[in-house]
Amino acid sequence: MRSLVIVIGSLLLSAIVAMQCVYTVDETQQAILLQLGKPVSETLGPGLHFKLPFIQNVVLIDSRVISYEASSAEVLTKEKKTLVVDNYAKWRIIDPLQFYQTLRTVERAKARLDDLIYAEVRVAIGSYSMKEVVSSRRAEIMAVVTSNVNETVKPYGLQIMDVRVKRTDLPPQNEKAIFGRMRSERERQAKLYRSEGLEESAKIKSTADKERTILLADANKASETLRGQGDADATRVYSEALGQSPEFYGFMRSLEAYRKSLHDNSRVVLTPGSGFLKYLK
Amino acid sequence: MNWDWEKLQDKRQRQFGSGPDFKGLGDEFKRLSEFNFNIPGGPKVIFIIVALLWLASGIYIVEPGEVGVVKRFGAYDRTTGPGPHYHIPFPVESVLKPKVSEVQKIEVGYVTAGMKQDGSFQYRGVPEEALMLTGDDNIVDVQFIVQFQIGDPVEWLFRLQRPVPTVKAAAEAAMREVIGNKTIDSVLTSGKLEIQNTTKELLQSILDRYNSGVTVVAVQLQDVHAPKDVMEAFKDVASAMEDKDRFINEAESYANDILPKARGQAASVLNDAQAYRESVVRKAQGEASRFLAMLAEYNKAKDITHDRLFIEAMEEIFSNPDLEKIIMSDEALKHAVPYLPLDRQGRVKSGDKGGK
Repeated sequence: MRSLVIVIGSLLLSAIVAMQCVYTVDETQQAILLQLGKPVSETLGPGLHFKLPFIQNVVLIDSRVISYEASSAEVLTKEKKTLVVDNYAKWRIIDPLQFYQTLRTVERAKARLDDLIYAEVRVAIGSYSMKEVVSSRRAEIMAVVTSNVNETVKPYGLQIMDVRVKRTDLPPQNEKAIFGRMRSERERQAKLYRSEGLEESAKIKSTADKERTILLADANKASETLRGQGDADATRVYSEALGQSPEFYGFMRSLEAYRKSLHDNSRVVLTPGSGFLKYLK
Repeated sequence: MNWDWEKLQDKRQRQFGSGPDFKGLGDEFKRLSEFNFNIPGGPKVIFIIVALLWLASGIYIVEPGEVGVVKRFGAYDRTTGPGPHYHIPFPVESVLKPKVSEVQKIEVGYVTAGMKQDGSFQYRGVPEEALMLTGDDNIVDVQFIVQFQIGDPVEWLFRLQRPVPTVKAAAEAAMREVIGNKTIDSVLTSGKLEIQNTTKELLQSILDRYNSGVTVVAVQLQDVHAPKDVMEAFKDVASAMEDKDRFINEAESYANDILPKARGQAASVLNDAQAYRESVVRKAQGEASRFLAMLAEYNKAKDITHDRLFIEAMEEIFSNPDLEKIIMSDEALKHAVPYLPLDRQGRVKSGDKGGK
């Protein structure tokens, strides 16, 4: 019974000692070993490691790329326009010992970066116009900020991989103005489309009217010509025929004229002996 | 990345090449089992069962679409494909099984708020994400999704803290950068495909820089429109374009209406004229031939025909009972002339008579 207690006791003891001697570093971590507060190793990668029990202790530090998101802030551009900018940064700890000595925790590193990046972003954006910040030179600005911040954080054992401006918006009151301008631009465009439509329509209609008028005028012209030709031909035919005996035509035509003109409601005064009544004498 | 990787491999070799940890463990085992032998009965059996269970806990199954990533003492050791596998049990090795085939989706500018009763989804816009400045100082409302897969499971698991929010933030930054280089008209109309492709490329390059292990499958614009405040004006432009087309169509239909009618009218005018010409000519010809025919007969017996025609005509005229005839001698005529009622009385009288 006593030997069992001894065995169990010694087992527990050796387990505790073993746990003090052995430690693992995860794939997402890196470690430094401190002996009574003094660093005694270079950076240790993931895996199983040994240390002296009780006098050495291990500090585990994240080796991954860490995000830091800044809250949005108003920044002035070169032409003193206000932009609401928010950015994020990707960074990691490349020298855990320096990091441990200067900052110690990720939270403090973030606070430090907040100050630095905020200032750098302000400086960088302040030397560009709004148009450049929003469109053409955004990548360039971010590269400048990244390299500047990188210089500054070297002593902390940090590496800035990327500072990226996420949102570049206008303050609400400017937004209102932009909306107003956008609206008026569109209204102008809509008006243009409609009046272009009316212009086009008037052109088409008047062209059609013009064509119709010309068409009818041409037709009338041709029609008069044809009628004239007909009259001329008829006249020629008449004169050719009648010319053969003008006195007979005069006689015939007079008779016909008498027939047509002397009827109801006419009063004829005749004297006997003349013409028709010559036998009445 | 490369130097990092080699260093890790190096370290692993140094640490595990000789495998001192296993020997250490083996020794402890031996001691334990020797110790157990001295205890009669149950404990030995219990120990064997516990040991077997412990060994069995190393069996793991990788489902299709997953990979098994095995860590030995925290360090990445190997990647295994789908199927059953074995790893040295806790605390030596552990396994992670990320779903590499699964396409994950991130929504930017809106969130899916839930499902309606009819099964369709309900969306809610997130204006602070969606409103973006364009290169020509306008603002658009852009909603899009990013589909991505885990391209490199090791990078995905170990190289980046919080990979999913990273993808979202990077996607937002990339989209804003791309939209910032476009005009509002190209964003709203023809430029969408290009925006998707450019953003996808840019996003992939950003994520590669972070060693995120993410493969961007697609960036898809969902709803791109003018901001709510100016939506009406934008819609009005569209309807103005329609109006323009309508005006033109109406004018064309007017033209199509009147021109054929006018052509018809012109043709009818011409035909009338032609008909007139032909008819007057024919009439003249007819009358001429009638005259010529009569003339031929007249020439044969001029005097008698002359008299006959004259008398017949007079007979016809004077046989009309309504023709008022007054016969008076030359003498009477000489005296009567001044008293002839050459006013309208006689006509009226005879008109009255005729009326009755």
